[in-house]
Amino acid sequence: MTDQSATMSVIKDYILEEFLPGEDPGQLTPSTPLVSTGILDSLAILKLIAFLEREFDIPIKAHEADEEHLNTLQAICALVDSKRSLVR
Amino acid sequence: MDFAWSDEQMQLREAVKSFARDELNEGLCERDKRGEFNREGWHKCAKFGIHGLPVPADYGGMGADPLTTVGVLENLGYGCKDNGLLFSINAHMWTVEIPLLDFGSEPQKRKYLPDLCNGTLIGGNAMTEPGSGSDAYSLRTTAERRGDRYVLNGSKTFVSNGNVADLVVVYATLNRSAGPNGICGFLVEKGYPGFKVGRPLEKMGLRTSPMAELFFDDCEVPAENRLGREGAGQSLFTHSMNWERACILSNSVGAMQRLLEMSIRYARDRKQFGQAIGKFQLVSSKIVDMKMRVDQAQAALYRTAWLQTKGRNVYLEAALAKLTISENWVRCAENAIQIHGGYGYMVEAEVERELRDALGSRLYSGTSEIQRVLVASLLGL
Repeated sequence: MTDQSATMSVIKDYILEEFLPGEDPGQLTPSTPLVSTGILDSLAILKLIAFLEREFDIPIKAHEADEEHLNTLQAICALVDSKRSLVR
Repeated sequence: MDFAWSDEQMQLREAVKSFARDELNEGLCERDKRGEFNREGWHKCAKFGIHGLPVPADYGGMGADPLTTVGVLENLGYGCKDNGLLFSINAHMWTVEIPLLDFGSEPQKRKYLPDLCNGTLIGGNAMTEPGSGSDAYSLRTTAERRGDRYVLNGSKTFVSNGNVADLVVVYATLNRSAGPNGICGFLVEKGYPGFKVGRPLEKMGLRTSPMAELFFDDCEVPAENRLGREGAGQSLFTHSMNWERACILSNSVGAMQRLLEMSIRYARDRKQFGQAIGKFQLVSSKIVDMKMRVDQAQAALYRTAWLQTKGRNVYLEAALAKLTISENWVRCAENAIQIHGGYGYMVEAEVERELRDALGSRLYSGTSEIQRVLVASLLGL
């Protein structure tokens, strides 16, 4: 498994467990909208940010906690990867 | 964790305590009765450097880290009994300066931050509406892009500094069907066409901090005064509230310490049944409870600021700090009145005002109930 797919798998598992319990995992694709559809509401965004910072040991800036950076699994992974590349 | 203050921080903390005691308390009882803002005190605090504490020197501030900032504000609250003035300064710092610093464009920062730091401009924050309080993102004020400007329509209430503010961060929706993702922040100057200040709102406590309704009737805001990108209002407001929850009650921790010391003095001096009332365990246990609450509040404040200084997100800690300090401030003020007996109930003793001021802290920046919801959710419940 590549770094990127491992990252996506960890984030996907977290989102399924926390915000989509009981849903078919196959329905959550890399491009499924999360913020614009309300799956991630304001409280869920706080939880997700706290999870990403803790899990990947990265700081996420205030302006990145928005639809542009968190709307899909793909976007979230891109954000995490960009942060990890800065840390390395 | 290391909360030991450096020599430089200690000097600053001591200096602000003396400054506050000497410069900010005169005439407070009368101002509280009249509900009058201490504009002179506002400017004195700005000159001391309070308003610009967390703002980098490049933009006219002191560039202090969060732990230094809350330490200074704590001692400001110890020396200054005008909780309303300090509330106004906090609203200005956490809901205008910080969002501007972290979401503003370089020209916006250059234009507004220096004057916000030196006190020339007074800032306010307009989020709450008659129909949206705890459910903040259900707001109805609209913004529509028309050429090189946005046109705002709607009304806001409970706007701290509303009737004295020169610059207000106003939240409005560009697209109601997008819910929270349609919300955007705007930097609105008081002279913009269509901006109207409504009636001043009279409060139970914090009476020296002005509050008003604001109205936007085809209010024209230049496009360059949008704060952050379109739809970024939710992250802007979350960020602002996070700082506010972490820091807005710094001065309350100082106020609690002042109430504790005042109550100890009274319990030692006041004699009943032939001895100091502090010798009665029913009185001394109240003082012990006050001390316990001050220490809890201080620990929550310092821990949150220390984590912020380390660059960590403090969603959980900020909500806990806000909840801990506000609830403990109210209980401390209640105990102080009870220890002072009938004298504590008299306005001239200046204890009852502290309770009136403290009660509001359970409501602003998210009620205690909302803080509990946040904490429970962040604990995975």
